Amino acid sequence: MSAMLEDERDDAIRMIRDSAAGIAPRGGDRKRIRALRFQSPGFDPAVWRQMGEQGWIGLRVPEEQGGAGLGMGAFCALAEELGAALAPEPLVHGALSARLLAEAGATGPLERLVAGEALVLTAWQERAGSFDVPGTPEAPRLFLPMADGAQSFLVPLRQGEGFSLILQPAEGADLTLEPTQDGGSFGTLRPRGGETVGTLSAAQMEAALEEAALGTAALLLGVMDQAFAMTLDYLRTRQQFGKPIGSFQALQHRAADLKVQIALGRASVESAAMLCDRADAPAAQRRAAIARAKARAADAALLVTRQAIQLHGGIGYTDEADIGLYLRRAMVLANQFGTAALHRRRFAAAQPEVEA
Amino acid sequence: MTDYNAMTDEDFRAEVRRFVESEYPAHLRNPPHRLHWQEGEEWFRIVQKKGWVAPGWPQELGGMGLDASKQIILIEEYERYGVARLPDHGVIMLGPLLIRFGTEAQRARFLPRILAGEDIWCQGYSEPGAGSDLASLRTEAVLEGDHYVVNGQKIWTTLATDANWIFCLVRTDKSGKKQEGISFLLIDMKSPGVTVRPIINLGLHDEFCEVFFDNVQVPRENLVGEPNKGWSMAKALLGFERIFLGSPRQSAYALSRLRMLAERMGVYDEPEFQERYTKLRCDLEDHKALYETFVAVLRRGEPLGADVSMLKLHQSDLFQRITELMLEIGGENAGLLKPMEGNRDLHPSGQFIEARPTTIYGGSSEIQRGILAKAVLELPG
Repeated sequence: MSAMLEDERDDAIRMIRDSAAGIAPRGGDRKRIRALRFQSPGFDPAVWRQMGEQGWIGLRVPEEQGGAGLGMGAFCALAEELGAALAPEPLVHGALSARLLAEAGATGPLERLVAGEALVLTAWQERAGSFDVPGTPEAPRLFLPMADGAQSFLVPLRQGEGFSLILQPAEGADLTLEPTQDGGSFGTLRPRGGETVGTLSAAQMEAALEEAALGTAALLLGVMDQAFAMTLDYLRTRQQFGKPIGSFQALQHRAADLKVQIALGRASVESAAMLCDRADAPAAQRRAAIARAKARAADAALLVTRQAIQLHGGIGYTDEADIGLYLRRAMVLANQFGTAALHRRRFAAAQPEVEA
Repeated sequence: MTDYNAMTDEDFRAEVRRFVESEYPAHLRNPPHRLHWQEGEEWFRIVQKKGWVAPGWPQELGGMGLDASKQIILIEEYERYGVARLPDHGVIMLGPLLIRFGTEAQRARFLPRILAGEDIWCQGYSEPGAGSDLASLRTEAVLEGDHYVVNGQKIWTTLATDANWIFCLVRTDKSGKKQEGISFLLIDMKSPGVTVRPIINLGLHDEFCEVFFDNVQVPRENLVGEPNKGWSMAKALLGFERIFLGSPRQSAYALSRLRMLAERMGVYDEPEFQERYTKLRCDLEDHKALYETFVAVLRRGEPLGADVSMLKLHQSDLFQRITELMLEIGGENAGLLKPMEGNRDLHPSGQFIEARPTTIYGGSSEIQRGILAKAVLELPG
């Protein structure tokens, strides 16, 4: 990438972070987050529309199709900010649908989705902990987040080597919901009918899911970064034995170790995003980098949020303390778009070993 | 004189690569321990002929005058090829210190002899009672007329048996804050009263030594900088070299040997091994990504922050975890003193022991965590 393109990319990333702070301030508007928990649909459609107006849902969609045409660096920066803010609006899932609709050339539904006028969820998953798309016609589609706020579902059906995409309206759909730990929900859809809006190759489908996995890793990065910042504040202020507890070496060293994991997570996510934005990067290298980033982010986010509870002590175990919201979000996000173990296997399969 | 900084990074990298691939002695690649001067001198002479002894020194003082970015490329290519580190304290530590804080006379006297390989320097910092708490050092230098008289003991002095000069932190004032009574002194090891005793380490190698000073007379002009300013000078020199303690090289090399061992032991394809091995590989790749973010800071010409401690902390931990897995899969072979089947690449116990001191030297992991907690995370106390 030339220096000029790199500067442009950095500028886009900075701008997106600034605009994210306007709608979803880091640290979160926790009153809003709490008010939406365990309610239907679990997010605020007005905020979803704002996200559309900001161009976030179609951030990765080419400009000529009504998107912002920005890179994964910008998308990950945005996802990180939304993760830190605990925003419940399902941006990564919406962006996945936008990308698939754009690639299939489904202009109408795409327009409404990227404008934030509708939520379209891609109903790809048929098995827990999976990252492949069987596209079985009758199989129930699992783990659709905030599904009762969706206007339609995008159902991929296996067709030869690729997929045909069916857009099924939410109205009248056979959908059941289960609440999730973070106050949202997972829907199960039994697909039925709908309109074919286009076709996609298997490679297109996989690349789109990989981007969603990386976006999820960035969400997790934001979650752990913010949970850690709050924990550091607590360590600096909470007094025991006549001193701030952050002055105790056992806790300092634990905090240092968590910092290392967060730094590794950030380096991993950002280097994977950089690879995605380099047109000349081989697909296998990109796949390996994304797999690694998702595995790191999942493990590190669970470690950091778990330790954040421990370092908060008794108050950390109360629902009243906001730190618990971060653990709950990490629990829900960690295994979305592939578990850490699955992604490590993908890494091993994709990354050739280099002779030392 | 070649202006290396004017070359593109790619051209310079290719030049370094050509140099090591065509001239580096094959039998010295990836040695299992720090080379003694005698063992590595043939390589020094090759480097000397090329004029590449001191990459970071200015050209007018006989260095290559490389900027940080080019120095990193040089070191990356050396590491990639498995080029051994020579006794290099003169080039890396003392030279930059004299260039910045020394007198004209000190530069003229000492720098050319470093470049010529005539003086081999070692570093006298740690003492039996001053390891992690270095500033509490007690080796004392008392000014008597034109000479300092030095008494005390240094320890963990790397390759002191090879050196004819030692630069030391010595106590010159006991009255105030402990950091403010330390001076930087250059001592000829042939002076009467200097005794060197090698220490056999856990790897059964005599890499470091004890150095004793018994009424050693050191000319006053061998003091560098002002008296009692030694601590801040030495600290100022902890420059961008700190990044190299966190280089992924050791772990990358160990990981490749882990793979060879696993294949030899017939466990490479076992799912349990694959799972753990892949995790280590991911750790290494993430470490490289983190390392690159610090390299990028240097490339922008900015100083490294205290957060560079993360690199050393993680690299040493990873290196140890890799060698611990070697020990596990090696079976009884992991207890062998020598490499398996005479193959230097199959030596789980050797690699394991080699990894042990990395969490101790250069600021132990506990010290690094303390630095991170206080200087980066701004925790109290």
